[in-house]
Amino acid sequence: MTTVRTLQRLERILVMVPWLLEHPGVPVDEVTTRFGVTRRELERDLDVLGYCGLPGYGGGDLVETAVVGDRVTVRLAEFFRRPLTLSLREALTLLLAARALAGVPGVAESASLRRAQVKLQTTLGAEPRLSIDLSTPGDERLPLLRAAVEQRRVVHLRYRSRSKEETTERDVEPWAVVGAEGAWYLQGWCRLARGPRDFRLDRVEEAVLTGEDAGPVPAAPPPAPAYQPRPGDVEVVLALDPAAWWLPERLVVDAVEDVDGVRLVRLRTGSLEWLARLVLSLAPAVRVVQPATLAARVGDLAAATLERHAG
Amino acid sequence: MIGRLERLLNLVIALRETRVPLTAGDVRERVAGYDQPDGEAFRRTFERDKADLRALGVPVTTAPVDRWDDRVGYRIDPAAYDLPPVRLEPDELAALALALQATGLVDEAGAGLRKLAVDAELALPDDPAAPLLAGPARAPAPIEVELDAPHRAALMQAQLTRTRVRFPYRPTGRPAAARLVDPHALVLRGGRWYLVGHDHDRGERRAFRLDRIAGEVHTVGEPWAFAPPAVPVDVDDVVPPAPAEGPRRATVLADPAVAWRVAGRATGGGEPAGDDRTRFSVPVGDPDAFVTWALEFGPDLEVTDPPELRARLVDRARAALAAARPAGAP
Repeated sequence: MTTVRTLQRLERILVMVPWLLEHPGVPVDEVTTRFGVTRRELERDLDVLGYCGLPGYGGGDLVETAVVGDRVTVRLAEFFRRPLTLSLREALTLLLAARALAGVPGVAESASLRRAQVKLQTTLGAEPRLSIDLSTPGDERLPLLRAAVEQRRVVHLRYRSRSKEETTERDVEPWAVVGAEGAWYLQGWCRLARGPRDFRLDRVEEAVLTGEDAGPVPAAPPPAPAYQPRPGDVEVVLALDPAAWWLPERLVVDAVEDVDGVRLVRLRTGSLEWLARLVLSLAPAVRVVQPATLAARVGDLAAATLERHAG
Repeated sequence: MIGRLERLLNLVIALRETRVPLTAGDVRERVAGYDQPDGEAFRRTFERDKADLRALGVPVTTAPVDRWDDRVGYRIDPAAYDLPPVRLEPDELAALALALQATGLVDEAGAGLRKLAVDAELALPDDPAAPLLAGPARAPAPIEVELDAPHRAALMQAQLTRTRVRFPYRPTGRPAAARLVDPHALVLRGGRWYLVGHDHDRGERRAFRLDRIAGEVHTVGEPWAFAPPAVPVDVDDVVPPAPAEGPRRATVLADPAVAWRVAGRATGGGEPAGDDRTRFSVPVGDPDAFVTWALEFGPDLEVTDPPELRARLVDRARAALAAARPAGAP
């Protein structure tokens, strides 16, 4: 939409003009690099600016802009000597980002980040009360895996899969370490699966940095770990007692509906084993309506568990 | 006809440089770009421009024109408009840029970072902050933390300015009801955001999950409406206290394949149990939560002690079996 573009341009001009006033005769290249604009965009912004000024709009009222040779000068724009102030939302969000990064387990304390936080807090004039606890099971592996990502080294994992409950050994070319929905994940190219995979850190039994170079990270960042439906996935219907009504908030579901006083949740999954264990762990508040194969697997797991606890 | 960008710039300049607030009529008469032929078209244009400027964070305020005139005018207070001198060093700016990138908040606060960068002397083009200053384009970060949650920004703002809020809240298994809350703190724990605050309807401090807010968050009344909490908020405020009764520890036997996972929850290391399993001592908070945890391992884990937890697990496994294989079914 043109409106959004106009407001983005306005925002840019309100930041760019103070800097141009401060740096008269600055090379065009420096402006375009610093503000991420093309020369043509810069010239169009300056052109508009040249028609703006104090009411009256006579000589001496209008902003003067000039691109002479390769240098930019803006004059008579004292009202834009300072950038537009930080909005409360921007300042809070910056502070939140800084606090969160500083709170990641195993991230080396950064003096720069700490000083930046102090300055932001001073600008806010009050201390926002934010508690950020990013610790989760498995986060003791963060330093090693972060090092693997940064040094571009292949990692050897001993991993207990959630989808099949089996332990495998695999080499992974690491791309990123991601915290999402209360868990940490290593994302990367799995040489065993020959595809991109997410590994939950609390399921990593062992991680070893190999000496092998992992190659470059793909240009497009991988999406955050989340269930993506695939062709071949099984459609599942579960019945929930009120004690388990929170369950749809934790899963990616297709629908939640109340039928004859029973809450039904519809979802798809690529892993019946994982879902069977979930249903067993939440019994009797969660029951399988379909498919029969899932109910059978829950039954087998329950029977085996009872056998373990016989006598 | 004058373009919208030019008109908005002229409006900012006129409102910022005027000594007395400008009425809508003054704006129409004096500011370039407001020469719409009919009054209704002017009014709509002016209203939209004011709203857009405010959304960008431009402090457009309303005030009586003067003491003897009760007409309302508009102006921008330069002191409220100007960015105070924050003076971030390039390394501090780069650290903030990385933090924004890692937390996925570039869209929300990238503009703020660019404002702060005006005062910094960057070593362009190689400065680490440069790619973020240039625009919202995103390079993959070596570490990412997901911080987004509905209403987070609005509630942080209300907490900072001590503004009361009202919102519909939906506890587990119950219908949503309106709550009036003095926000004391925001807490992120276990991947979830919580608002901790004084709940006026319950008369005590409560924690609210942001993802259970079932509608809009509205501010109520003026900022600075309540005193900061006497008791500081702790992350533990969002976790229900452990029940006073019940066993505090359980003994479990873990199969080799899962022993290391059980070890993560156990106190101390495990010991060999004779067969190829390992014996662990595991702390128990809520008994039901413990059984849920144990059942996730299915037959790979045995709860041996105390007997009441073992019995509770057996009851739930029986219920699962009965539901999965109804009587009469093969």
